[in-house]
Amino acid sequence: MEQVLAFPAKWWNEAVTVWLVVAVVIYVVVAVPGLYFIMKYRFKPGEREIGDHEKHGHWGLEALWTIVPTIIVLVLATYSFAIFKKQRTAPPDAMTIKVTGFMWGWQAEYLDEKGNTIKTVVTTFNPTGYEVPDDQKIVVPAGKPVKALLTSLDVIHSFYVMPARITEDMVPGRITHLWFQINKPGEYWIFCREFCGTGHSHMFTKLKVVPPEQFTLWLKGETNLANKSNQIKGNL
Amino acid sequence: MREAISVPYFGASLKEWLFTTDHKKIGILYLSTAYIFFLVAGFFGLIIRFEQTSPGIQLVQPDFYNYLLTGHGAVLLLWWAIASHIGGFGNFLLPLMIGAKDVAFPRLNALSWWAFFGASVLVLLTLIPGNHIKMMWTGYPPYSASGDAGVTALYVFIIHLVGVSSIATAVNFITTYIKMRAPGINFWNTNMFVHCLIAANVIQLVGVPSLAGAVTMLLLDKYLGTNFYNPAKGGDPLLYQNVFWFYSHPVVYVQILPVFGFFSEIVPTFARRPLFGYKSMIFAVWGITLLSFEVWIHHMFVSGVPDWARVIMSYTTILIAVPTGIKIFNWIGTLHGGAIILRSPMLYALGGIFMFLIGGLTGIPNAMVAIDLGISDSLFIVGHFHYVLGMALTLGLFGAIIYWFPKMTGKMYPENLGKVSFWLTFIGANLFYFFQMVVGMLGNPRRYPDYPPIPEWVTLHNIQTVGALILGLGVLVFTIGILKGLFAGEKAPDNPWQSQSLEWQIPSPAPVDNFGEEHPKVEPDYHPYKYGAPPVF
Ligand code: HEM
Ligand SMILES: [Cu+2]
Ligand SMILES: [Cu+2]
Repeated sequence: MEQVLAFPAKWWNEAVTVWLVVAVVIYVVVAVPGLYFIMKYRFKPGEREIGDHEKHGHWGLEALWTIVPTIIVLVLATYSFAIFKKQRTAPPDAMTIKVTGFMWGWQAEYLDEKGNTIKTVVTTFNPTGYEVPDDQKIVVPAGKPVKALLTSLDVIHSFYVMPARITEDMVPGRITHLWFQINKPGEYWIFCREFCGTGHSHMFTKLKVVPPEQFTLWLKGETNLANKSNQIKGNL
Repeated sequence: MREAISVPYFGASLKEWLFTTDHKKIGILYLSTAYIFFLVAGFFGLIIRFEQTSPGIQLVQPDFYNYLLTGHGAVLLLWWAIASHIGGFGNFLLPLMIGAKDVAFPRLNALSWWAFFGASVLVLLTLIPGNHIKMMWTGYPPYSASGDAGVTALYVFIIHLVGVSSIATAVNFITTYIKMRAPGINFWNTNMFVHCLIAANVIQLVGVPSLAGAVTMLLLDKYLGTNFYNPAKGGDPLLYQNVFWFYSHPVVYVQILPVFGFFSEIVPTFARRPLFGYKSMIFAVWGITLLSFEVWIHHMFVSGVPDWARVIMSYTTILIAVPTGIKIFNWIGTLHGGAIILRSPMLYALGGIFMFLIGGLTGIPNAMVAIDLGISDSLFIVGHFHYVLGMALTLGLFGAIIYWFPKMTGKMYPENLGKVSFWLTFIGANLFYFFQMVVGMLGNPRRYPDYPPIPEWVTLHNIQTVGALILGLGVLVFTIGILKGLFAGEKAPDNPWQSQSLEWQIPSPAPVDNFGEEHPKVEPDYHPYKYGAPPVF
């Protein structure tokens, strides 16, 4: 079985696929007859000069194309509602981080069981490039749900975790939230998607997903993670 | 029928233009202003487009980019997508279509135009470097209340002036429709354009005060120290978004409904048969109008509002697809059994309808809240609304300009330039906006002058720029066509399209006094789409 890269992206992808299939089918069902009529019922001098002026409508047809679309959209909305509940409810075993936006960067805080901050990552504004220094990446363990509590120090920003296909605004004076889980270690983009001024397109960082044991080490302050965990494995 | 009088109504002196209360002249003033602003703001769009072609900052610095994008959005929405067809076509056509001498309050109408003119001057003032507005057309606080956002006050006054103009126009048009119809014109034989226009103006009347309130509080916050939106003092930035979108969502129907009107006038004329499902069309228009005020949270699906509000408005939003679909099906139904003539206004209308179909279908994922959480504030949204605004609306307006050109100017728009500009615009716009949606689906945020060099993104941005160039060429050809038609166009017959509708039963260009007497005589079996007889070309 193929491994799922990320949640809630998995459900999001499914929803997009469902929509795309429905949309393409509707497009074909409407556009093909439309184009066909344009070809077939063409004005021809002496032959076809007036259109059918008796038919002003057809209540049966009109009822049909009111009722069927109503059903389709209600089903789609309900399907989306079911996914939305999962997108918005972090699994009970999720770890919590606090992320605060500012012009133009992020501060991510990691908490212990009592809710005290034990480690903080702050990104600095880089107005020209898109490189992220290693100590400014937001590190999370692979395969573990992460709940992010979001707020902002100045204007409204947003927190878009690209591999997880989830965004939520960071609003000053409010705490908003989202959750995600990335199963494959690697580096992924995080962007701000709410307009926040001059540096908006350079408000980004990388999400660094590492195996859980490396994450524990990192929390303790270790920087060279790969090296260190190999060392530990070697010692065992 | 009377002879056309020797001096066409628009051949008036400058003084007459300045003091005019004639609905036709005011309509032309609105339309030409809107068109010029469309060209300028479209040019802004091209610069933005070129900047995005490859990663890195090449053409314009981010602050100037933000000004261009703010101007592009605000001007295209308020001038091109509202003033051109409400102020422009609405003024020109409403009295003619219902057989009236003028609107109900001609002097109030002139006041509307001058308020709008004032707003246009303020927009030009923002071109001065110190006056740039950089907060996007949505102007969210706290950013817009900060010094970084530019001259927020100018933005607020622009909205206020446009708002005064819109409210006065709405009162005027609604009264005109109720009180000034020629005997014999009733609810069930009114042109679709008029139905759509009146519905749009009802939205204006209800909604504009809400937007005006939102920006007034912004003005007070920024310059007089109130704290409506300041969380540090008990205010709430989301208050702005709620009040703002309460109008600014329904406004998209203000923008698109009159275009539905254009489609419904042009398609029957060139299919030579009655509009299919005329009655269900009217129900659909009012259904959309009613629903339009129940959906604003879909602009705030990721803003931090409670989950239950998101779910409710996800349902109401997606339901709008139903009346919208009815309209599309009815246009297609009109084609069935027609005798279709593919003149350029018809090409534009059909192109607009087929693109609106895509605009509608790509609106569904925005309504499905689960999908929106992943695409909110991405270029997918921008691609989607360009399908609606940049294609359905713009193609519809271009078609309408060609279609009513004879009645406005007494000249024909050159048919060959109409066809060439259609194909260029249509192909270019599709290349551009389709791939804008694709790159948005891949995650590219909107309002980004710069982005990381992700290979697929770069390719997709390159294609978009090629599309935008072709699109720009199409608009250029269309504009040349307007000038050529004006100065060297063929003389127009009174009813070049052999339409049944009232505005075509008078000379071209429309005489100063419309129908001569108070009202034209309307036959008891009059219907604007009664295409029984073969056209004589
Ligand atoms: C002349 C052809 C056009 C071009 C080249 C163009 C180009 C663009 C580009 C590149 C963006 C920026 C996307 C982003 O990064 O956020 C944009 C945004 C936008 N466009 Fe256009 N566009 C055109 C026509 C139109 C039309 C006809 C309308 C409306 C009637 C329109 C309304 C908007 C709006 C409302 C925005 C969003 C502004 C914002 O994010 O605040 N555009 N356009
Ligand atoms: Cu930001
Ligand atoms: Cu931002």
